[in-house]
Amino acid sequence: MKDAKNDLKKIFSGDEMSHAGTGCNNEVYVPVSEELFAKKISSLHENGFGLVSLFSAEAFGKNRGFTLFYAFEKPGIEEVVILLRALKSARATSIAEQFLSAYQYEREITDGFGVEFDNAFDKRRLFLHERYPDDFHPLLKSFKNGKIKMKATVKPEDEYKFREVHGEGVYQIPVGPVHAGIIEPGHFRFSVIGETIFNLETRMFWKHRGIEKLAEGKTPQDCVKIAEAISGDESVANSFAFCNAVEKISSIDVPNRAQYIRTILLEMERVYSHLGDMAGMIIDIAYPVGASPFFILREEIFRQNGLLTGSRFMKGMMAVGGLNKDIENGALDNLSTYLEEFAARFEEAAKVAHSSSFSVIDRLETTGKVRKELIRPLHITGPVARASGEAIDTRLDHPYGIYSKLKMQKRILEKSDVMSRFDVKALEALDSVGIIRKLIAEMPEGDVLKAGKIKDGFAASLVEAARGQNFHWVYIRNGVVDRYKVRTASFCNWQAIQHAVIGNIVPDFPLINKSMNLSYAGTDL
Amino acid sequence: MLKTVSNMFAKKKTEKFKFTDAEFEELGLSLKKEIDSIFGRSLAIREVDSGSDNSPEIELVNLTTPYYDVERFGISFVASPRHADVLAVTGPVTHNMAVAVKKTYDATPDPKLVIAIGDDACDGGIFKGSYAVMGGADKVIPVDVKIPGNPPEPKEILKGLLALMKVIRERKSN
Repeated sequence: MKDAKNDLKKIFSGDEMSHAGTGCNNEVYVPVSEELFAKKISSLHENGFGLVSLFSAEAFGKNRGFTLFYAFEKPGIEEVVILLRALKSARATSIAEQFLSAYQYEREITDGFGVEFDNAFDKRRLFLHERYPDDFHPLLKSFKNGKIKMKATVKPEDEYKFREVHGEGVYQIPVGPVHAGIIEPGHFRFSVIGETIFNLETRMFWKHRGIEKLAEGKTPQDCVKIAEAISGDESVANSFAFCNAVEKISSIDVPNRAQYIRTILLEMERVYSHLGDMAGMIIDIAYPVGASPFFILREEIFRQNGLLTGSRFMKGMMAVGGLNKDIENGALDNLSTYLEEFAARFEEAAKVAHSSSFSVIDRLETTGKVRKELIRPLHITGPVARASGEAIDTRLDHPYGIYSKLKMQKRILEKSDVMSRFDVKALEALDSVGIIRKLIAEMPEGDVLKAGKIKDGFAASLVEAARGQNFHWVYIRNGVVDRYKVRTASFCNWQAIQHAVIGNIVPDFPLINKSMNLSYAGTDL
Repeated sequence: MLKTVSNMFAKKKTEKFKFTDAEFEELGLSLKKEIDSIFGRSLAIREVDSGSDNSPEIELVNLTTPYYDVERFGISFVASPRHADVLAVTGPVTHNMAVAVKKTYDATPDPKLVIAIGDDACDGGIFKGSYAVMGGADKVIPVDVKIPGNPPEPKEILKGLLALMKVIRERKSN
């Protein structure tokens, strides 16, 4: 793994680098002046860096106004590079032309803080839908969290504008936010010719609950359950990422046994998540018999979770400094025995995609292709990216916990379709089972919680959840959370579905959607 | 013809399934009796997510999977509020979903009932006090039964449905 500082020397002068600092979790923070900012952005783009997240904080450090944080990563470099841009007013320039995924973050910052982005091509509201009052920016320190007065009616000119496609035979199908199945709410605006999808625009944030604002003012330990609530089936991944950030800020060394158990919980979450996707894909091609084994195995994993932790979703386990409670060796051994039998049944079930019948293969192959060229500009991560040939996996690219000790591989396939995503998830689920069994066999003894004094500071924390890369940034001031930024993989990955469905038929939409398994709650916060 | 005959003798795709969750089966059969009597053998539930973290949805889907298979007891999850007897609301009602929840409730024909599933739907849960949520489902629509939990397990959901049957009987006798 190369050292980020060497690469950065090509982009930043020696003087600029002298002001750069290493963060608590091995990030590199580089303050950039407004005059040189545009040039640095172009330079980062030319040198192969990708935008991981872009967010704002008010009253950060010595800057009383807004500071914008631009987090980048580059393949081959372990450290995350974060540009700091202190704004003199509530205006900034957009970087969406070089880093396309920025356009969503900039809308998010405008809603949250009121910062306007010049030359942004999309200035629609993002998480504040039409009924939120004008000039309302919840993440400003001047706004005290609580009840607000919503608009009673929405003027037609204020309604959210979707891209319109005109032409003979083109019609729109609006789907959602309430969907036909037992699923989260979101809106999909299809433009269709016959059955073929010509254009899809997604609109999310129906479930915006105000997670980031809720976190402010809470002690780190109280904030863990807020991190768990971001997305129910990413409870472990998100609570881990939050605790990891706080531990790095406070220099708390998590005991070995806790690290091992944390990794087991993270991988159990990956297994049950992938099982659900695989079941969902086979159900959506109207083949319930083929899906049943996955549903059966998934329920068994939920029950294992319950036996191990008391919660089927493993909620309530993560704590700052380790775990809230230990898991007995006997219970771990039982899990390992179960997983041995599980692996054989899983492999048998997974054959459904390739060997059962041509009609299954016909539905899964070539459907919903996500072209490799879209992955980096849109910052698509997780199995969706890996099934399109992009060799990224946060567990290996920016290792955390004990992942650098594990000999694991990235599961990469090239065909970019639903079948590839099915196969990547099947391979990953089995890999996870292997990791869990290995860790149980080598489980160290000892405590599972290290108490430690909470220090002030800030840190970024990345985690590879089942869906992809989640980014957390925590700023602690006077012992409480001052700013908590979360960006789950789904926030970026939703963009991929708009491209994947083009040219496919409407009945294949649920299948493509399930193959990506995007979280609405994780996007909306 | 030949394919049919060879299918009859081919290796079966189904598996022998050992399931001994006695408590769940008992709950299910009591519920089936109530559904037979009150709902004429069919209880149609429409689920509405008004801002949950998705874990209640996952547990509701789990109820339809082989380990539980609640369709045996007469419960079906329907695609439209027009087909529903009961609305199952999850999540604290976010401002962005308030209108959709109200419209879904209004679209459900009478007689209708509402159950709130999960702590967030019951009273807002940890989101109480957030600018973005209204609170529990009862801030927007009348709620008949609340099932607490984060999320409630499949067994708890079934107990909640049995409680709903009790509520209906009590109202009928009044």
